[in-house]
Amino acid sequence: MTVGATPSRVDAVDKVTGLATYPADRVPKNAVHAVVVFTNQPHARLVKLGLAETLAAPGVVTVVTAADVPVNEYGLTLFDQPVFIGLDDTGRSSVPCNVSRWEADHLVVVVAESLIEARQASALIRTEWEQLPMANDVVVARTDEILVHPGSTSNTYHELKIRKGDIEKGIAAADVIIEGTYELPHQEHAYLQVEAATAWIDDEGLVTVETGGQWVHEDREQIAHALDIDPEEVRVRYASIGGAFGGKEDMSLQIVMAVTARKLAKLGNKRSVHCGWSREESIVGHHKRHRATVHARLGATAQGIITAVEADVWLDAGAYNYTSNKVLGNLHLSVAGAYDVPNARIDSKAIYTHSVPGGAFRGFGGPQGAFVAESQMNKLAEALGIDPLELRRQNALTDISAGITQAGLPEGVGVVRVIDACAERAPTSEEPASGKPFRPIASLPAEMGQLRQGRGYAVGMKNVGFSFGFPEACEADVVFHGDPEDHRPIRVELLHSAAEVGQGVHTALIQMVADAANVDSKQIEATFSDTATGGDSGSASASRLTFMAGNSILGAVEEAEKAWADGDRPALGHFSYKPPLTEALDPQTGVGQPNFCYGYMAQAVDLTVDIGTGHVRVDRVLSVHDVGKAIHPRMLIGQVEGAIAQAHGYVLSEQLVVEDGRIRNPRLSQYLIPGIGDVPVKIDCVILETTDLVGPWGARGVAEMPFITYAPAVTAAIHDATGVWIDTFPLTPSVLLGHLALGNL
Amino acid sequence: MNAEVSHEIVLNVNGEVKRFSAPARRLLSDALRGDLGLTGTHVGCEHGVCGCCTVLIDNQPVRSCLTFAIAAQDRKIRTVEGLADADGELHPVQAAFKECHALQCGFCTPGFLMTATALLEQRPNPDEEEITEALAGNLCRCTGYQNIRSAIGHAIELMQSDI
Repeated sequence: MTVGATPSRVDAVDKVTGLATYPADRVPKNAVHAVVVFTNQPHARLVKLGLAETLAAPGVVTVVTAADVPVNEYGLTLFDQPVFIGLDDTGRSSVPCNVSRWEADHLVVVVAESLIEARQASALIRTEWEQLPMANDVVVARTDEILVHPGSTSNTYHELKIRKGDIEKGIAAADVIIEGTYELPHQEHAYLQVEAATAWIDDEGLVTVETGGQWVHEDREQIAHALDIDPEEVRVRYASIGGAFGGKEDMSLQIVMAVTARKLAKLGNKRSVHCGWSREESIVGHHKRHRATVHARLGATAQGIITAVEADVWLDAGAYNYTSNKVLGNLHLSVAGAYDVPNARIDSKAIYTHSVPGGAFRGFGGPQGAFVAESQMNKLAEALGIDPLELRRQNALTDISAGITQAGLPEGVGVVRVIDACAERAPTSEEPASGKPFRPIASLPAEMGQLRQGRGYAVGMKNVGFSFGFPEACEADVVFHGDPEDHRPIRVELLHSAAEVGQGVHTALIQMVADAANVDSKQIEATFSDTATGGDSGSASASRLTFMAGNSILGAVEEAEKAWADGDRPALGHFSYKPPLTEALDPQTGVGQPNFCYGYMAQAVDLTVDIGTGHVRVDRVLSVHDVGKAIHPRMLIGQVEGAIAQAHGYVLSEQLVVEDGRIRNPRLSQYLIPGIGDVPVKIDCVILETTDLVGPWGARGVAEMPFITYAPAVTAAIHDATGVWIDTFPLTPSVLLGHLALGNL
Repeated sequence: MNAEVSHEIVLNVNGEVKRFSAPARRLLSDALRGDLGLTGTHVGCEHGVCGCCTVLIDNQPVRSCLTFAIAAQDRKIRTVEGLADADGELHPVQAAFKECHALQCGFCTPGFLMTATALLEQRPNPDEEEITEALAGNLCRCTGYQNIRSAIGHAIELMQSDI
């Protein structure tokens, strides 16, 4: 089992036999049960909180409130959110805790002998709220008439600029200007395993939380910060994780369950506490892919050479930052596309609103940026009568491009490679529309006269790893075991914190250890995702783990080899990999080197539109990826197929309804993720392996890339089929019919 | 609300008779997971949409989150824990999901395995339409379903070569 092979997943047997245990499967027999009560107030000041009846209710063990949190604030990149809304301000929070800014702000944790008793007691909480005016969206919020965070001067709390070349000259030099306003919708992660956690104080006194997240060490940091204790006094470990996609990067139950376990211990109660969210609590209670509005202009000569890009980006951060600043950065970098743009003005703003927070979700800003950039390019190709791939090829970024941030790009730029492969592999003869019914949402056979076919393209690039000067690093520990006389290790231990969220990273890491140490995978014993055993791996996000963890393993194996050669038994290898440094962008010009590695992708989508019903069937997707090196080609293709399915829902079916700061459809019966009959009929994945000079075995990253280009390729194909450009989505049948009607179809 | 009256409930799960005491409204999913410790049956949406909780009752796929445990008495319940042989040899459907990489996070997998098992027991040679129809009620957020489709094809081969 080595790099490039396709072994079975290391977790496959447990997952097909039901032996794999997810956080909600690991409830200790004597555990007490907790319910997290949300404020249910998008913007209101807490006036009274009555808990007497709750405390007196049958089975209740205790309640946990703001008074129990020493430092009542948290946040992955900014401490701007109270752990609990409450009246007991400890004075150690950067944000007033008596105002609820989101319907899912936490108010109380009710702990009882059983879940049903905890729920019944929760219903007895008495509250009085003073309603406050709402800034529901960026249109209202950016006027700053209502401030989401009263201590601030503006809801616009994070801004980025690009000033490159001379924008006036660039616009003047253009023969054609493409201009559009794009509305990008929220998206819900809809991982099938909803949030759950168990917490206790272990025999050594560590505050211990077992859950499913994306980064055990960051969970530990956040818990320690709120509890005002040393991170070494906290232990976080992960059970099997039922999907994450960015949605488990921020805190859900981690801090509140740690606080609860600590309170129980202070009360002399040594039992574990378990909490599991319902689907509704999950959808209401965690962040979403950001809603955004982008106004863009693209100028080009009649020959199709780009002369200028202008864009204004307004990102709806919701009530708290989460990772909005990071998402904004990515959107900012990608809104001009993978093209050489001589003159650019881009202004990007993250704006607080009284809406559900936006945060990490596969691609984080990339999909929004690519939808704008690629829609603009597709419109330009039509306006100039140039083949859309040829237009992209002649403007593509290369190794000698300065790039939008004017600092050059990491060597090995692959934009032209993926464009060429896409052009070469895209089928030239389209199969005729089959007339088969569009299952399962419409079961009647389509009328042949109402079917229109089209093809659309999109091209892009996506950073691998954390950007903008973040101190990016990944640790690994490898231990060679054997006797002094052994030539090679008999057994190899791997200790690593990389979160297995489904992507297959544990399998890939064992492949890499086997390859690097030249041992059989059967000789490897791995322990994952436990702060008590593994070093800090960083998050399972930003398509970074293959790259970062792979390099950490190469380093750790090298260290272990040295120790082994020195005669150490066991031979310990510890390594912390740090990639090439990145930089924050200059605040006025956007100059800087934001990233150390990119993955490159191009897609061609063939689809059929039923102009009578508004249904869309995607008949075929060609998805081309330069991944550097496929560590496990079959799992890699699984990432491509899975990302496309999620993007398919994003553009065609997933409609999160948020009104007055409240999610109105927090159920899987109302928020429709694609089923087996909805997804593309066929996906052809083309893998290019152009070695990355820094990547382990030459690998880059791939998990987010196939998502990013899909939506603009679909809308371009719909345009090809119907002649109608659509600058927003999701294109549910009724919505699409509305757009087609405007185009006289 | 008053505490609910408990009843003795007897279930036949994976060929074993299990007795426990629970209120009449105890859902089969909660009974399997909580009372019997069979946590391979997962709950993803609590109202019959995602299919994670699918089990077989008298060989028919059923949403255990929409079924009262008490209503499944005197019937044969099969869960993911009962698919493999007593000696641990995987059922062909399990083997096919493993070999075809038809899972990622694995949370939806038990539901898919049960639905696919029922399909192939009833129709050993389903066509693509029948596979789509049968699996349309199971949601997967990770795989995009392509490998799940491949796994069904591979399971058919494995089951035929078993005969």
